[in-house]
Amino acid sequence: MKQMLNHELLQIRNLKKYYPVTTGLLSQHIGDIKAVDGISFNIKERDILGLVGESGCGKSTLGRTILRLEEPTSGEILYKGMDITKLDKKGLRELRREIQIIFQDPDASLDPRMTVGDSIGEALIIHSITDEKERMKRVAELMEQVGLEAGQASHYPHEFSGGQKQRIGIARALAINPKLIIADEPVSALDVSIQAQILNLMMDIQQEFGLAYLFIAHDLSVIKHMAHRVAVMYLGKIAELADRREFFQNPLHPYTEALLSAVPSLKPKGKERILLLGDVPSPLNPPSGCRFHPRCHRVLPICHQEEPQLVEISQGHFVACHLYN
Amino acid sequence: MGLETPSIPRAIFKVMNNTILGVSHLKTYFFTRRGVVKAVDGIDFELKRGECLCLVGESGCGKTVTALSILGLIDSPPGRIIDGEVRYNNLDLVKCSPTQLRRIRGKEIAIIFQDAQSALNPVFTIGDQIVEQIRLHLGMKYTEARDKAMTLLKEMGIPSVERAMSYYPHQLSGGMKQRAMIAMSLSCDPQVLIADEPTTAVDVTIKAQILDIFHELKAKRQMSLIFITHDLGVVAEIGDRAVVIYGGKVVEMAPVSKIIGNPKHPYTAGLIDCLPDISKTTDRLASIPGTTPNPIELPQGCPFHPRCHKAMEICSQQQPPEVRISEGHEVSCHLYQ
Amino acid sequence: MTERLQNIARKIGGPLYSNRRLIEYYWQRTQRNKLAVLGLSFIAFLILLALIGPFFTLDPTLVNFEENNLPPVGFATEESVYNIYTDEFTTTEISGTWKHPLGTDSKGRDMLAMIISGARISLQVGLIATGIAITLGTIIGVLSAYLGGWADNILMRFTDVMMTFPFFLLLVLIVFIFGPSLALIVLVIGITGWTGTARLLRSEALSLRTRDFVTAAKALGASDGRVIFGHLIPNVASLIIVIATLSIPGVILAEAALSFIGLGDPTTTSWGIILNSGQQSLDTAWWIAVEPGIMLFLTVLAFNFLGDGLRDAFDPKSNI
Repeated sequence: MKQMLNHELLQIRNLKKYYPVTTGLLSQHIGDIKAVDGISFNIKERDILGLVGESGCGKSTLGRTILRLEEPTSGEILYKGMDITKLDKKGLRELRREIQIIFQDPDASLDPRMTVGDSIGEALIIHSITDEKERMKRVAELMEQVGLEAGQASHYPHEFSGGQKQRIGIARALAINPKLIIADEPVSALDVSIQAQILNLMMDIQQEFGLAYLFIAHDLSVIKHMAHRVAVMYLGKIAELADRREFFQNPLHPYTEALLSAVPSLKPKGKERILLLGDVPSPLNPPSGCRFHPRCHRVLPICHQEEPQLVEISQGHFVACHLYN
Repeated sequence: MGLETPSIPRAIFKVMNNTILGVSHLKTYFFTRRGVVKAVDGIDFELKRGECLCLVGESGCGKTVTALSILGLIDSPPGRIIDGEVRYNNLDLVKCSPTQLRRIRGKEIAIIFQDAQSALNPVFTIGDQIVEQIRLHLGMKYTEARDKAMTLLKEMGIPSVERAMSYYPHQLSGGMKQRAMIAMSLSCDPQVLIADEPTTAVDVTIKAQILDIFHELKAKRQMSLIFITHDLGVVAEIGDRAVVIYGGKVVEMAPVSKIIGNPKHPYTAGLIDCLPDISKTTDRLASIPGTTPNPIELPQGCPFHPRCHKAMEICSQQQPPEVRISEGHEVSCHLYQ
Repeated sequence: MTERLQNIARKIGGPLYSNRRLIEYYWQRTQRNKLAVLGLSFIAFLILLALIGPFFTLDPTLVNFEENNLPPVGFATEESVYNIYTDEFTTTEISGTWKHPLGTDSKGRDMLAMIISGARISLQVGLIATGIAITLGTIIGVLSAYLGGWADNILMRFTDVMMTFPFFLLLVLIVFIFGPSLALIVLVIGITGWTGTARLLRSEALSLRTRDFVTAAKALGASDGRVIFGHLIPNVASLIIVIATLSIPGVILAEAALSFIGLGDPTTTSWGIILNSGQQSLDTAWWIAVEPGIMLFLTVLAFNFLGDGLRDAFDPKSNI
């Protein structure tokens, strides 16, 4: 048992994050936006879990809740077997050395009024590595590791291109040697030629530092390239979770099928595209039964009434769909 | 209507060649304090009737400025079209008066932007905005215009059109906004539609829906499209021909099948290689080293040579000439001389 | 100690302290606005005048009835003197002398000396009161935005109350109770003048608070103080400078207005006090009122020009 706990870096148990919606003068509670609504999964050491979903499905909220940048409504987040939802300020600060985050928008993620060296070094100051010389050395080291010149440490963010800024963001996350990095759509805002550079860099540092990633993206081709396992999220719930190979060879959930067929490909498709109708419904008022049923192309009568549970169909392949029950 | 377009030449045009819009030797520079930004530096292409021409390139390569130059929407100062012409129906749009251009914009050539959120006016309902546009350009009565607006929205696949008409932009989701904007740009039945990265900021599922709309526009309306994108996957889906732009210049122009299947320019090939392909499993993506060049200090010779793995000595000295590989496939690269 | 001070200055002055290239960049942008440069030059001149001027001028409090109401150099006035023996008015022409280049007032005090000492007082009033107001406004505004929730609510409602408070009445009351004193006036202007700043900075900080770099700092384990002083305040620093520059003239004018209506500190020679003393003799000795008036006008204009120039220079969207 103990050994298993060591192996599992992060375990999420029935995690929920609701945002209360209030109205009027007296702030009457009229409902909840269920951004994350009962999610469970594990991430092992050196594991890369790809998390896919459309915007508004709650994937970014999930990432931020794991870092306790958002307070979870209920559920457990176990990091190395310890429940971090109950950590106090001091414990939280320790946790920050272990889990870090990389953001989507490289422009917004760096303080425009700080040299990039200071931005990268800030984590070192916070975690009491205050010797100026040692800090400078570490910053230079980090910058070279992400493919920048150490001499650029005294430059300001606006002097860098988007891809370089993303590299700086990665260096900052690496500064305190975390074990898990939550990458929140790290390449969505980048040009194609730069995107490949950053993905390669993230692969390299994952190997070098023995990192685990929760890699959030909406692009399945990026996920396929990066992830060891893939989870599909829809309206705050996991629709399907499987190993990469299984996921791409044998997708089960109709939503996964639709997502896969929507990816533009350089080669003309053999089969007809499954076009999803409409948009993600409001998480304030999710559809009854299976949340996906209004957009589903393989909907059954039961889907309108009963919510499907996430069940293991084959080894490590979970799906929440009535088609497979 | 107000356009002084002799009807006979237009007919002749149609018979003689199939070109609806021709851009030749277009140069748009921005004169800033830090230097001259050669955003568009001699671009040539022709848009044929009913085809979808993709302008492909990374941010800052000049593809959006090209589109804005066609419609005379360059902010001046600091920008100015310093050379070249844009031929549309015997007219050179570069030399047109602002009044003439206003009649052409929206009615003859329409444009949709990447950011639907900021292109729609937040204080008017979707319906009002489209109806207003129709009445302004086509001089229809309110009820007529309203009917037309509803038909358009329906065509764009917007459910419960009656309700959607009374929505304000913020009440619509990203995909719906994008569709409302396409509907608005089509409201005056333009001949040419320029779409500036309409699929860039949206989810894959919405992207697929929008591409579907463009497919239908091509099929049903025989619309002539200029589709600006950096995503070669999208180009493969929708494009008939593609123009690859780098550093304000056309580096390769060919039918899409040839661009994807047989790219000649190292930059085009690089762009294709660095796309993570869902049908393949690779450990490492090919990538183009370096970053897109600063448009103020474009490299000497071929603008791509500092990033090119096939660069030769001549590349840093001379601008490569345009070489014809096959019918309709042209590339600007020293490799093929 | 100095290191600690430097650290604090670096945190608060942030970019402008530690970043020479950024200063140069902003300076270049400001320079493009000719009026702003003109304003800055005038302010620099005024500061210099206030600092070293008093060493070269006469004592501004030196009363000399022999030489009262002397016009400035280049001007002349007529003075009628009633002779009780002849029961006649004799008119003599008096012209300005270089001993008193700007003339003298009704008590024979040197106008140049008074104007210069007034400059010192007006600048002090402007800088200190603005300093108090901006500090309070920054702390309350940024804190309100950062804390959010009920703390934000309380702080902002307090700001609303302060905004509607009749500040002039308060001043009159205080002057009535404690007697007119410059320090008191400065303090009251400072303590009541922060509300606009607080509101502006709150809205600015609100949009910064959700930016990824703030989230990143929190994710790195940064304390609230570090986020506020290390990230939020440096990012509103340019706005603070603009607000300060634009509110200094208002404060100087407020003090002058108070003095003009007789609520000023009579022991000082602020421009408002001089103006006030000159208003009765506008027909006989116009320069007593006009000279401080011109100085006030120029100073206010200079600060406003500079403030506008800085605002444009700091605004990344304005393409100058």
